[in-house]
Amino acid sequence: MTEGTESLEQGNKADAGRTIPARSREFSTWQAMRRSWQAYALLAPIFILLLIFNYYPPILGLLRAFYRWRPGVEASFVGLQHFGVYFTSPETPRELFNMFKLLAFFFFSGAVIPFIMAVLIFRIRDTESKELYRLFLIIPMLVPLIVVILLWKQIYDPNLGVINGLLEQFGVGFLARNWLGDTATALYAIMFMGFPWVSGVGTLIYLGGLGQISESIFDACEVDGCTGLRRTLQIDLPLVLGQVRLMTILAVIAGVTSFQTILVLTDGGPGFATMVPGLTMFHKAFRTQQFGYAASIGMVLFVITFAATLAVNRTVHPAVEDVRH
Amino acid sequence: MSTTTSTQAAPSTRRPLRYYQIGSHLFITVMLLLSLIPTYLLITWSFKNGLQYRWERWAISFPLRWRNYAAAWDIVGDYMINTIIVAIIGLMGMLLLSLIGGYVFARMDFPFRETLYYAIIALLMVPWVLSFIPAYMVYVRLGLLNTRLAMIIPELAGGPIFGIFLMRAFIAGIPEELFESARCDGAGVLDLIGRITLPLSLPGLATLAVLNFIGVWNSFLWPLVMIQDDEKQMIAVGLYKLARSATYGGVAGWTSQDFSVWGPLYAGYVIASLPLVLLFIVLGKFYVEGLVDSGLKV
Repeated sequence: MTEGTESLEQGNKADAGRTIPARSREFSTWQAMRRSWQAYALLAPIFILLLIFNYYPPILGLLRAFYRWRPGVEASFVGLQHFGVYFTSPETPRELFNMFKLLAFFFFSGAVIPFIMAVLIFRIRDTESKELYRLFLIIPMLVPLIVVILLWKQIYDPNLGVINGLLEQFGVGFLARNWLGDTATALYAIMFMGFPWVSGVGTLIYLGGLGQISESIFDACEVDGCTGLRRTLQIDLPLVLGQVRLMTILAVIAGVTSFQTILVLTDGGPGFATMVPGLTMFHKAFRTQQFGYAASIGMVLFVITFAATLAVNRTVHPAVEDVRH
Repeated sequence: MSTTTSTQAAPSTRRPLRYYQIGSHLFITVMLLLSLIPTYLLITWSFKNGLQYRWERWAISFPLRWRNYAAAWDIVGDYMINTIIVAIIGLMGMLLLSLIGGYVFARMDFPFRETLYYAIIALLMVPWVLSFIPAYMVYVRLGLLNTRLAMIIPELAGGPIFGIFLMRAFIAGIPEELFESARCDGAGVLDLIGRITLPLSLPGLATLAVLNFIGVWNSFLWPLVMIQDDEKQMIAVGLYKLARSATYGGVAGWTSQDFSVWGPLYAGYVIASLPLVLLFIVLGKFYVEGLVDSGLKV
């Protein structure tokens, strides 16, 4: 906002912002700004980039949700039409239901399971095996996400996949099926990907949180005979609620917005069995060129994530360490 | 307390939790082994020929077919070089802007500092679904469709958002006396950033670099819609397209019933994982911090 004048100031830069004599307040603010021209000049490139590529697009998206919009064509205002079409389309209830199922599952696989794993690893007494476990947690994360997804696609493959291969080897070949191609199993196969869901960022984040709890608390609770499950629920869990909140929010965001895995594994199929709103948004934009419609779905997803994040933030309050002797 | 066998000379207040510990060890080991199965399959499959892939799904087949890796480099090498070029150019710019931004917000005093800072941090709350579609349109309007610049800019412009957040906290921890004495020696802002802040904030920058490199290496949807020419394609999309043509036939004269394409494909997956493995070996601690921060970044 003040870049223009600042370049003029270069002449009398003298000394940048020391003691400013207190005169009229507005005047001194303006003077302080002129003296701090260097700070604004240094921030200018960052803000120029952010304005074009990070502030403008989401605002544009919120506006264009009410327009018919495609590349090379003048956008035309259609009011709430996109939202009406989306919420009355026959596929919508199904994909919203799929989304909530995935969201609930991601809470389990992303927030609950890693917590259990982290508590178990944290309580291992032997530091060497503890370090080893940490290392083995990280190894699967050295494989790019797309490779993981493609590997699981192969694991589920009806003809070459190892799951059907195992079932046949154990003489229960009749259970073999086209996991991703069967309406009854496709969504569950997507959830099952990454089993047993322990090696993710979540376990590391929980381990970090547990590591920050002071030793005296554990000593105190051992004296009181608080061990095992009771300690987990009454000591560990309350003190890492900050991490629980973070992982829950991440699960919500992943459940509502991430469709990369589904795009690669099933592309929403068979039929609409694994369709989610995010993928519909992607299809509408890049297959049928309905960018305004896609922007309106994006807006709906934004509102859902925003509301859910707010709700989680309001309900989960981390406990504060407070040892009384 | 009745079954105390006192095998350990632990303090008397501690219960011997040996059985519990053995159970934990077992459970953790089983879980970790299960989660390593895909990685194991990936590596074993990458050494198989067509028949071995068809008939020996679980076992390691000998002799190992190293030739798969030469064949794999031919198909994934260009994607990898593209991605590395984009990642490095973007990283340099991103690190520079994060360092400058972090310094300005941590060490300079100017009107509207907090307002501007929170204006940047607020962008962390904007979920990508909201900006994905309009960002595509903005890039198309600017003529960036199908250019490498379209891969660099998101890192350059978007990277500093979290970067400034991280670097401000980091730079605020540097003792003020260092800056004070440099100022007395007549150092300007650029000297303070380049000579004092930069060398002292290398750990923060390393975390940021790793975090962003992993991000670029995994970026999928953006290059999928932005890049049309195969010569400019990024690694994740490249692998996706190769996997599709291995399944349905397509590029490189592959046909769907030819099992010999799978070995080189998996070797390609392994090669595509090597930069991340290398990064972990060289910058282990920062890699883990980067992973954890990627969670905080949302």
